[in-house]
Amino acid sequence: MSLDDNQQLSPDTAKTSSVVDLGSKRLPHGSRQGDLDSERFSISMSRREIDDVDARLVYVNDPIKTNERFEFAGNSIRTAKYSVLSFLPRNIFEQFHRVAYIYFLFIAILNQLPQLAVFGRGASILPLSFVLLVTAVKDAYEDWRRHRSDRIENNRMSYVLVNDTFRQKKWKDIQVGEIIMFSADDTIPCDAVLLSTSDPTGVAYIQTINLDGESNLKTRYAKQETLCKLPEKDVINGLIKCENPNRNIYGFMAAMEIDGKRLSLGPSNIVLRGCVLKNTNWAVGVVVYCGRETKAMLNSSGAPSKRSRLETRMNREIILLSVFLVALCSVVSVCAGVWLKWNVNELEVLQFYRKKDYSEPEVENYNYSGIGMEIFFTFLMSVIVFQIMIPISLYISMELVRVGQAYFMIRDDKMYDESSNARFQCRALNINEDLGKIKYVFSDKTGTLTENKMEFKYASIFGVDYSGEKTNFEGEQRGYCIQVNGQVWRPKMKVEVDKELLQLSKAGNDTTTSKHIYDFFLALAACNTIVPIVVDTSDPDEKLVDYQGDSPDEQALVYAAAAYGFMLMERTSGHIIIDIQGERQRFNVLGMHEFDSDRKRMSVILGFPNGSVKVIVKGADNSMFNIINKTLNLDTIKATEHHLQSYSSVGLRTLVVGARELSVPEFHQWQSAYETASTAVMGRVSLLRKVATNLENNLEIIGASAIEDRLQKGVPEAIELLRKADMKVWVLTGDKQETAISIGYSSKLLTSDMNKIVINSNSKVSSKTSLGDALVTSRSFLVPNGDTSSVALIIDGTSLVYILDTELEEQLFQLASNCAVVLCCRVAPLQKAGIVAMIKKRTDDMTLSIGDGANDVSMIQMADVGIGISGQEGRQAVMASDFAMGQFRFLVPLLLVHGHWNYQRMGYMILYNFYRNAVFVLVLFWYVLFTGFTLTTAITEWSSVLYSVVYTSVPTIVIAILDKDLSRRSLLAYPQLYGAGQRHESYNSTLFWLTVADTLWQSIVVFYVPLFAYWKSDIDGSSLGDLWTLAVVFLVNIHLAMDVIRWTWVSHASIWGLIVATCICVIIIDVVPVLPGYWAIFNLASKGSFWICLLGIQIAAVVPRFGIKMFIQHCRPSDIQIAREANKFGNSMELTGQAIEMNLSRR
Amino acid sequence: MMNSNPSTPMNAHAPSSISGGNGSPDSNTPRRNSKRPKYSRFTQQELPACKPILTPKWVISAFMLVTIVFIPIGLTSLIASNDVIEIVDRYDNACITGTKSQKVQYIQNATTDKTCTRTLTVKKRMKQPIYVYYQLDNFYQNHRRYVKSRSDKQLRNRGDENATSTCKPEYEANGMSIVPCGLVAWSLFNDTYAFSTSGNRSLTINKREISWKSDRDEKFGSDVFPKNFQNSSFIGGGTLNPSIPLNQQEDLIVWMRTAALPTFRKLYGKIEQDIEAGEKITVVLENRYNTYSFSGKKKLVLSTTSWLGGKNNFIGIAYLAVGGLCFLLATTFTVIYFVKPRHLGDPNYLSWNRNPGGH
Repeated sequence: MSLDDNQQLSPDTAKTSSVVDLGSKRLPHGSRQGDLDSERFSISMSRREIDDVDARLVYVNDPIKTNERFEFAGNSIRTAKYSVLSFLPRNIFEQFHRVAYIYFLFIAILNQLPQLAVFGRGASILPLSFVLLVTAVKDAYEDWRRHRSDRIENNRMSYVLVNDTFRQKKWKDIQVGEIIMFSADDTIPCDAVLLSTSDPTGVAYIQTINLDGESNLKTRYAKQETLCKLPEKDVINGLIKCENPNRNIYGFMAAMEIDGKRLSLGPSNIVLRGCVLKNTNWAVGVVVYCGRETKAMLNSSGAPSKRSRLETRMNREIILLSVFLVALCSVVSVCAGVWLKWNVNELEVLQFYRKKDYSEPEVENYNYSGIGMEIFFTFLMSVIVFQIMIPISLYISMELVRVGQAYFMIRDDKMYDESSNARFQCRALNINEDLGKIKYVFSDKTGTLTENKMEFKYASIFGVDYSGEKTNFEGEQRGYCIQVNGQVWRPKMKVEVDKELLQLSKAGNDTTTSKHIYDFFLALAACNTIVPIVVDTSDPDEKLVDYQGDSPDEQALVYAAAAYGFMLMERTSGHIIIDIQGERQRFNVLGMHEFDSDRKRMSVILGFPNGSVKVIVKGADNSMFNIINKTLNLDTIKATEHHLQSYSSVGLRTLVVGARELSVPEFHQWQSAYETASTAVMGRVSLLRKVATNLENNLEIIGASAIEDRLQKGVPEAIELLRKADMKVWVLTGDKQETAISIGYSSKLLTSDMNKIVINSNSKVSSKTSLGDALVTSRSFLVPNGDTSSVALIIDGTSLVYILDTELEEQLFQLASNCAVVLCCRVAPLQKAGIVAMIKKRTDDMTLSIGDGANDVSMIQMADVGIGISGQEGRQAVMASDFAMGQFRFLVPLLLVHGHWNYQRMGYMILYNFYRNAVFVLVLFWYVLFTGFTLTTAITEWSSVLYSVVYTSVPTIVIAILDKDLSRRSLLAYPQLYGAGQRHESYNSTLFWLTVADTLWQSIVVFYVPLFAYWKSDIDGSSLGDLWTLAVVFLVNIHLAMDVIRWTWVSHASIWGLIVATCICVIIIDVVPVLPGYWAIFNLASKGSFWICLLGIQIAAVVPRFGIKMFIQHCRPSDIQIAREANKFGNSMELTGQAIEMNLSRR
Repeated sequence: MMNSNPSTPMNAHAPSSISGGNGSPDSNTPRRNSKRPKYSRFTQQELPACKPILTPKWVISAFMLVTIVFIPIGLTSLIASNDVIEIVDRYDNACITGTKSQKVQYIQNATTDKTCTRTLTVKKRMKQPIYVYYQLDNFYQNHRRYVKSRSDKQLRNRGDENATSTCKPEYEANGMSIVPCGLVAWSLFNDTYAFSTSGNRSLTINKREISWKSDRDEKFGSDVFPKNFQNSSFIGGGTLNPSIPLNQQEDLIVWMRTAALPTFRKLYGKIEQDIEAGEKITVVLENRYNTYSFSGKKKLVLSTTSWLGGKNNFIGIAYLAVGGLCFLLATTFTVIYFVKPRHLGDPNYLSWNRNPGGH
């Protein structure tokens, strides 16, 4: 059974086909290749049928019957994860998904075995429970907020048809099958199929900003069959059979049976939860999906997950640390075995061992199971004692630090975009530090480098170029306006107009020139999918006409037409009304062929008031010249081509308009073909395309338009800074080569002294040869000055087809790495990802992709760091991205400033955590060597447990969030400083091994100074333990203090505060009388030797580190060091880039 | 890990805000609520801060400061340590001769008389108070089995007499709890010493207040009396007078402050008389404690004390070494700064300026 069998052929069908798929078709004309995927998808959709198994049956206005089987969700939503009861088990379960906690748990469980009980029960569980508690409190707070917002959401009111009247009902009580009414500006509570609207043709406008972030209005239609029914009077009985809930917000498949008729429903017939009804007084719909089954809720998934490169490297070192841990444990257990072996005969009589238990009549071994087992137990026990060698708390610290860093990035007012009121967004929380190591930046052009706010610039009308002086009529006359019922209507956006053209267009329809101008602007006003929306202003006599549409190019053209007196006033499914120089005219829209990326053009079939029918086509120049009748007006075509070239050479986007009058038989032929195609069950899209292709030929050229897509603010400067920071900026665009190159120039990506290598080939062989030639050329440029900044590679998508994923890829990579700039034009979305993948495969360098549109999603997801621009083209890019921001230029503060800081902080924190834990473990280890290898800890178990959780935890996190190695100003003044991250200067294996050596020395000092000082004395274990505890805690905090660069009150408070806190903790532990160490700290501190030891340890431990650090700082200063000194001592003049250049030239 | 959770606060488009529908800012109306981050020096990471940079002057001064502080401390420590007069006498081998098994047999025989006399010569005048220590070598009082085998609860409170679970393997004898239980108390050191000088002047040993006051006051109960102590078949060391409360059994209190290291001293008592140089001290000792079954050593130590404690040159030497090293470093850096000066913050040292183009 097919859905499309009974589809009605009428303007309605045209509507349906014209508004399919609001997402994937948002492709500005001529600007980029279509999203092939979405097209395939829609083809497959039209082929698919809903079989009964996975269909949902909705009985219109009969919620009881609909919900008979209780299979559909109610409309109450629940984004909260937990309830009061389920919180504890579920939260704990979720927390244990982290490896770190499993390790904690494993150690804690190991410790509970009586044979292995190293720590007391409390002490062993404390760290784990502490972390669990903190996380649980955080989760509980978040969940409480979600509960609150759920409650507000669920208790909102809507009008629902109950007993033939609309009554208010809470959102949470809405059920599938109910009929619901929305008023203007209502938020829609559930997914509903439209039945009727206030518009006689059944149109409803919705805003989907909450769903996909797009602010323009979308049109939705009620079916004609249901349009006339008023739910309060007529009985509506019907059955909707629709797909099971899915998350595709751009697709919907259903069939409605009503009054014995069978109608097919598509995505244009459904309004989705979260949308807002606009410009429509009311709409009535039947609920099909509720609550968690709505498309909005199904789409509310988390951000993508990527793993930070630094963390990957760190994991390698953690494995190394586990090897150390195993080595330490092996040493201890083997030594323990040897010791037992030597003393095996004395074990019974050794006072401090006494193998046997004499308490019972039967004398048994106590806690002794043979040397083999003892070795094994010792091994496990040493794992427990040395557990913090693996800095598990580091993972938790890293998370906290990233949250803190994200907080600062989000709140940075230098990354706030005024125009879109958008803050920076951190969607992925685990790759902050990778922002400091980017080497390749892949950028989209339209909407990323440019504003994607199109402005009509020039027109070439029938071979005449109108690109003269522009006047903004702001001063003398307030643009074009018309009078409607005593009100003044004017276009919302003012367009600069060409004076001459304006005069001519006003002149009327008499001369040939003005006839051409008339045709041109009529074509611009008619051939589009723009919907005019009349907006009130503060002045009741003045209204603004806002042109809403998917394509910014079309908007620009319609505004331009309006400015020249061709004002589109109304668009319904069947007709449009255009006010032409004050005279309102109605045109019938007989059919429309949507833009698609194969044809790269769209056409509209217009019935004129005088009965003639014209097809008007508008599209990209190359696709248009193929279908223009070259026998007519050859000169005009030549002239237009010439104009187009000059337009695109200054970076303008061009479109060509053509038209043809249709004879009556021709029209009928087309109409029947069109109807058959629109109702086809299989391959409707390709059939429609065929019909379009048949119609769109032998056109007469009307003219061409040039639209400027302005560069975003600060783009050239940003690109310059990024390039100075030794990043390679590649632009990947779907645009024409000329446009791309001209944007390249205006954005300072390309400079005139660059040698350009252009590769345009359309076969594998030619690609190969041109690649080979290019490689030779690029090398010849490369050799003389050893600099890559003089070669630019420009390559188009067609060539890439033959290069990517073939053996030529390697050659392209080599060529590209010889070039400073790479511009890829006319590339498809998947090719963009392919280029990113090519770099990722061949280098270890970090890649970053930035884009704003659906066609950038694959590239954003492919790159190590994906950045979405929340711009004009919807939210898909943002949804796929790791970070989102409003403007391209924010890339500079993001990478050069925050990226640098984050990387430097995180790198230091990781090394410091390794050091901090290892130094403590080593102190414990050295002591074990003096206890007969029996894992006694002089440091109390509480202190060893609190060490990483309390004594040393806060400062490292605070410093890693707040410390800045350089000021923002210096980082921006010397973009080259970014190279520190690219060269992995803050975290590498040299630093790791240096840290290991330093750790070893410091642990030796901490342990052996007291050991020798108190050798052969009457010191007790607890006192010496306290000395070690304090010494090591002081030391690691002083070590950190030595590396702090910026001392704010927060850093002071955390470091010195923690030292005080540690002392307090040690004192508290020592005033508990039932612990063996009672009062030890006081007895210890009353003696001079304690203080002498403490001081000696600190100094002796840090002297080597300090000396080496100072030596390196003086003799081999890092760039960061110099910049810091310059910042502090140099005058501010030296900080600017010009000053440096001056310095250089003076030398 | 954190972003498995779809609505962390960072995620501006949490589900609630998608369906919330409260925003929907109309593009023609002015924004009611700007999301511009509120400016504060904190959020812009511009808190007032001190950014110390260690200039050559500072570096040299730091090293010199350490030198100036450490050398005097080192010297005074050495002097203090040298002023301490210490007599160490190892008597375990001197008092018994024979093979190891003979010695063990001897020491384990409860009936033999184990009195032993030693004579010590005082080379320098020892001023009172003279501390008498016993020193045990190779005795692991920090052995894990050992340190854990005690019950601090029981020592403190009479009511917790049966809190002996931590005392294994020495917690019960003849079915009754031992007070004080555990290996530590069980192995109580029980050699005794009596001193007299060659001039037959008797030297009394003051055995009071040899333990920490805090231990006597809080840790060991005044109402806890030894009970069932050393009643099992295997005796580890000294016995206790059952009629004296634990807080007065100072030898036990001292012993139970388990030593940190395998070679340790414990205070036996104080001699509160000066001993002149050349005097000979006769020590009559009861050599009861078994260190023969392992290669332990027993030593008797008489020592005066200084502000730094006993005789130990380590701290002094260490301080002198560190002080010397810092002096060396200070001079080295001075030389370096003179030979190879570098103007601080000179942009010519930036890597991209040093070798232009080759970064």
